[in-house]
Amino acid sequence: MTEQDLLVQRFLDQELAAGERLRLLVEIGRSTALRERLIAMERLLLDVAAIPRPDVRHDFVARVMERIDAPGITIWRRIAEAVWAPHLLRWNLAGALGAAVVCLLALSAAVALLNRAAVVGVEPASSPAAAAGASAVLVRLVLVHPGAMTVEVAGDFNGWNPARTPLEPLAGGAWAATVPLEPGRYKYMFVVDGEQWVVDPFAAEQIDDGFGSRNAVLDVRMPSGVSL
Amino acid sequence: MSDVERGPSGPPARESDAVPGDDDALVRAAQRGDRQAFGHLVSRHARSVLSVTTRMLGAAADAEDVAQDTFVAAYRGLPGFQRESAFSTWLYRIAVNRCRDVLRARRPRTVPLDAGDERMAEWEASGSDTPYREVEQAEVASAIERGIQALPPLYRESFVLRHLEGLGYEEMSAILGVHRDTLKMRVYKARTLLARSLSHLNVSSG
Repeated sequence: MTEQDLLVQRFLDQELAAGERLRLLVEIGRSTALRERLIAMERLLLDVAAIPRPDVRHDFVARVMERIDAPGITIWRRIAEAVWAPHLLRWNLAGALGAAVVCLLALSAAVALLNRAAVVGVEPASSPAAAAGASAVLVRLVLVHPGAMTVEVAGDFNGWNPARTPLEPLAGGAWAATVPLEPGRYKYMFVVDGEQWVVDPFAAEQIDDGFGSRNAVLDVRMPSGVSL
Repeated sequence: MSDVERGPSGPPARESDAVPGDDDALVRAAQRGDRQAFGHLVSRHARSVLSVTTRMLGAAADAEDVAQDTFVAAYRGLPGFQRESAFSTWLYRIAVNRCRDVLRARRPRTVPLDAGDERMAEWEASGSDTPYREVEQAEVASAIERGIQALPPLYRESFVLRHLEGLGYEEMSAILGVHRDTLKMRVYKARTLLARSLSHLNVSSG
């Protein structure tokens, strides 16, 4: 749009300052074409302003209120309509390539996750060592305590929760449990009948537990076995 | 722009003179659940809304349906209307957005929504500056309506609000969410395109 065009349009909007109006009038005086164009524009806008507004039906308000009172569309219907409604998809090559890259990345991540799940797997533990991991050492804990009703062991390896590691009764009042442990040092105690904490008399090492008693220490090593 | 200035237009619809209260009072009442108050608002603004939808959409059935839909949407949106703008401004905004939805859903014709610049360029390249010629007075309104319908939608809505609804650029900016300078350019281009299309058809007033 030329500067003259802008002057004309702003004149039509009655936005010209006094100086601009004068300049336009001078140009109009010099140019027949500009004069005719401005007159035509003014006539057009007068005709536009004279166009009658459409008539409103006598029952327009009633119809609006009826539609307001009509049962609403349920959210499920809206969802269904949105899902089934045809949509115009506009695309360009850049957008399509971007979407393809995103899909490939998502697919790769999914494949990687699936592979990892297959390696870790959910396989029944054929032995405590298999369940614990390839580097676990099976440790046999034994307590001879005839007359006990239950014997459990509590230590670093089970959060000092004796209920997690009950011992099985053997002949002669002996009790035993096989515990898979990763190499390391563990403190532990036996618990007899749920209340009597007993230090393993066969432990190679005992240390003060800070509560006036002593803990047995288990030193588990790889690869050959346990050093007690 | 009042209906008196715009000239006679057949049997008048219910006018606002008999309706009590200004828009703000009616809106407050409607928000409190007064359906009659909302009915008065509908009656008061029906013609403006129908005017916009008719000029935007052309087809009478579509225009009426969208006009009603506008008021239904306004009723449902009343609880969220904070009165930050005039009710009429808000109503125009709903109506324009509804019209845009309909226009998008229609099969595209030869002129896309924003093809106005292309048409302007074609006209300017043609070097034509044919003035607005004379025809029978009775055909003027119909020809202008057809010319408005032929405008690209973005220019059409700006032109309709400016010259058929008589709104200022500030209010148009509030309705359309576009800077007033942008709206001015759209109106300028709409005027030029309309004048051009009507001169091509040899249309003008006496």
